[in-house]
Amino acid sequence: MAFEVVVPRLGWSMDEGTFGQWLKRDGDYVDRGQPLFVLEGEKSAQEIESFDAGFLRIPSNGPGDGDTVKVGQVLAYLVAENESPPFPPADSPAKIATAGALSGQTPAAGKVAAPAPASDSVATAKPAMKASPRARRQASELGVDWTKLAGTGSTGRIRERDVIAAAKQQFVSPIPVELPTVPATTGKSVKAIPVSRLRKAIATRMMAGSKETAPVTLTMPCDASNLASLRQQFRATRRDADEIVPDYNDLIAKLTAEILARHPLLTARWGDQEIAFAEAMHIAIAVDTEAGLLAPVVRNVDQMTLRQLAAESRRLAVAARAGTLPEGDLQGGVFTITNLGMFGIDSFTPVINLPQAAILGIGAIIREPAAVDEKIVIRDRLTLSLTFDHRIVDGAPAAKFLAELRQAIEQPGPWLMP
Amino acid sequence: MHLFSPEVGMMGTSGIVGPCILQAAGAGYSFKLLKSDQVAVAFFGDGAVNNGAFHEGLNLAAIWRLPVLFICENNQFATEVPFAYAAGNPRVGNRAEAYGMPGFELDGNDVLSVCESVGDAVRRARAGKGPTLIECRTYRTRAHAEGMGDFSYRTREDVEKWKERCPIARLKSKLLADGAASADELDAIVDEVAQQIAEAQQFAEASPWPDPATAANHIYAAPKPVTHVTVKSLVPPKGTREITYMKATHEALAEEMAVNPKIFVMGEGIGKRGGNFNTTAGLYDLYGPVRLCDTPISERGFVGMSCGAAMTGSRPVIDFMFADFVLDSVGEIVNQISKMQYMSSGRLTMPVLLRGCIGIGHSAATHHSGNYYPMYAHFPGLRVVVPSTPYDAKGLMKHALRSNDPVLFLEPRELLGIKGPVPLEDYEIPFGQAAIVSEGKDATVIAIGRMVPVVVEVAQKLAAEGASIEVIDPRTVAPLDIETIRESVAKTGRLLIVDECFAPFGIGAEISAQIADRGFDDLDAPIRRLNGLHTPTPYSPTLEAAVVPRIDDVLRATRELLAE
Repeated sequence: MAFEVVVPRLGWSMDEGTFGQWLKRDGDYVDRGQPLFVLEGEKSAQEIESFDAGFLRIPSNGPGDGDTVKVGQVLAYLVAENESPPFPPADSPAKIATAGALSGQTPAAGKVAAPAPASDSVATAKPAMKASPRARRQASELGVDWTKLAGTGSTGRIRERDVIAAAKQQFVSPIPVELPTVPATTGKSVKAIPVSRLRKAIATRMMAGSKETAPVTLTMPCDASNLASLRQQFRATRRDADEIVPDYNDLIAKLTAEILARHPLLTARWGDQEIAFAEAMHIAIAVDTEAGLLAPVVRNVDQMTLRQLAAESRRLAVAARAGTLPEGDLQGGVFTITNLGMFGIDSFTPVINLPQAAILGIGAIIREPAAVDEKIVIRDRLTLSLTFDHRIVDGAPAAKFLAELRQAIEQPGPWLMP
Repeated sequence: MHLFSPEVGMMGTSGIVGPCILQAAGAGYSFKLLKSDQVAVAFFGDGAVNNGAFHEGLNLAAIWRLPVLFICENNQFATEVPFAYAAGNPRVGNRAEAYGMPGFELDGNDVLSVCESVGDAVRRARAGKGPTLIECRTYRTRAHAEGMGDFSYRTREDVEKWKERCPIARLKSKLLADGAASADELDAIVDEVAQQIAEAQQFAEASPWPDPATAANHIYAAPKPVTHVTVKSLVPPKGTREITYMKATHEALAEEMAVNPKIFVMGEGIGKRGGNFNTTAGLYDLYGPVRLCDTPISERGFVGMSCGAAMTGSRPVIDFMFADFVLDSVGEIVNQISKMQYMSSGRLTMPVLLRGCIGIGHSAATHHSGNYYPMYAHFPGLRVVVPSTPYDAKGLMKHALRSNDPVLFLEPRELLGIKGPVPLEDYEIPFGQAAIVSEGKDATVIAIGRMVPVVVEVAQKLAAEGASIEVIDPRTVAPLDIETIRESVAKTGRLLIVDECFAPFGIGAEISAQIADRGFDDLDAPIRRLNGLHTPTPYSPTLEAAVVPRIDDVLRATRELLAE
């Protein structure tokens, strides 16, 4: 938040003075109490100390040495690092805000300095930030910094709609990107879409996952009949149509968390000097959205009940599809689950989501005949596809993980008991 | 004081002087209605006879020849003020003549004389010959309350002289002299009484203190299951026949009177005339003068009577025409009717329906325009109902006539002629369930009573402009369905309360406080209120129009809220 540097009143009757010179340069860091500029009043020239701390930003049309300045006139701003000053870039003429009446306040000579913008004397220059409680809550949920927004309420208050608009802007709007040059060999016009910020992020991650790891994919069929029956039990006993029922991703995520706890290398992170183990069981679950692939992270899956997990994964998926997912919900995963079963895909080779060590692909559940106790019966088959980074894990332990996960999927009950 | 033992006919000892006279008259009305041979007795001191309740109660009991005994123990002091000073007429018994009933002035310390007169009076009452006033002249030989100084206003000599005339000692001498009882027999009675008192004291001291968690028990009667309901919907079904608000409440009352002989109606002009607002039209011909009882202009009297009637098994409906009129009886409503269930630990119920018109319009001016419901909603023990549609009016009145709590049923007069769908089937609407009159997502507007159709019109106008307004009618302000409002605000983030009644300490203030507390993070804008002007209601049409929220005011307030 920017603090204004204004011309103080050096004596009771002073209305204007003569600007001497800046004692700091544009961009310098200024601490509280440091001399900032020289101001000549009716009787003397004084070094004016700063009331606030920040990086000094002086507009290009600010006063020069010897210029007359009015009491209350804004000379410059003190801003946070990398914060833009609240005046237009140098090439457009800036309007210098002047404060209204100084409320009769006369700072004691010698102690005068630029008042902080929170004081009422400069209220006309920059209104205090206001946001409704609902907007603040929404901002916190969507990871939006509301202090950066312009409010549309009748008194400039930031409203919920302002936060939602900002969140949409943040996550789904395409950013202008120069398209790679398309060779005009055919001479026809080529249809193209701009590369969105999300598309670009996906491209970078996928390239990294493919090029910077030693990926190996193992596939493992399992009998998912019990899992299907369990899910059916949840569906059959729900109290109303709105009740969230765990889906296969939730069930498998929960089982995977249990088995991963016994195979920490699959959640470890590669470093050139050391392999760092994960500290918490945060599992990313891939969500297909209109804008592109997102993998929001469900935190501490091992500590959640299945219903909590289902509620959280649903919340994340809804936010991901609505384009309102905060950046924080996409970070910190130690393992990813991705599901293409709904498209009938049986097995595939998912790409590792760096810096994670492995990713589990879930295929379609296929009803097919199987031999059980020397009889042919109809069972539900599901195929798991695990891509792991061979730098971190070898084939045998990865296969062992997969075998244990199969066993958990085939006999899920005991693993789901708290 | 504050003692109850309804099991033996002791219906409570009040801390307020006077109301027991009205309650005894009400009990007498119950006995008459229910054709019981019971007799009601009011015991009061000389202090009560200078109180309006004495005048109104005796007059009403005399009009209807109720089986009631009014027994005044004239002990010559009301607190510390001598009766000789406080009464223009120094006698009590002869006041009976003013009310057209027999009166007696007795030596109150002569047990046999009192017994004889009271016996005569009971026989008169049972014979349908009406009430009797009996003045028992006596003296208070103790202080007004235990531990109070007693000799600043009278002398020790006076007190000692009266102690010698102890009625028990005199009775004992008389019985011994006549040989009617032996000294041993009388001593045995004294011993038995002393023993009973000792046992009672022991029991009290050995009993645990009440559980603090029960401090708010018995404010209301245990909820009764909603019975006989065939239409369960909280909104009228589509295609239902349409009748007026007035007709809807008339149907509710007529239907319940037909099935419940304990219901009677009291009010001015509600008998043969059928009520100022046709509230009882035609019912007199069906049910006669006892169940449709015309009253003198004596609001405190008949409201106080309704309390006594309700506690003795009947179900009074007090039709006070305009809510303004009943203010003279607020003490009976607040101190007696609303507290009776609590004071009696739920041993008495208070099924009293108090109904009347409220609201501003048609230059009725300030004594025929009041709303008052926030005031009543403030007190524990009352249900306060303000229906805005014929459907709600009938369903809520049905519920009131089947519930055991006192209900203030306030009918916005300007709405009495509106028509709306009311099913033919039986239904009731429980208290404390707000109606979502129209759904919306941009702002929640609460409207009460007369303001409901105004706000609905505003919502329709704004819908044409693309704004979606959720209109909620609480229907009952006590209990207030804050949860429905909170859920709506959680959706819309914006809240306006439109109420014709005054803003200060009103329903809007209550809703605002509760939503600011429970729904703070839901709010996307400050909570707004739009109320009638805080002024008595003027007569002049232009002035009158200026004190009520009009459609343009509501439009403006809603638009401002949307822009906040």
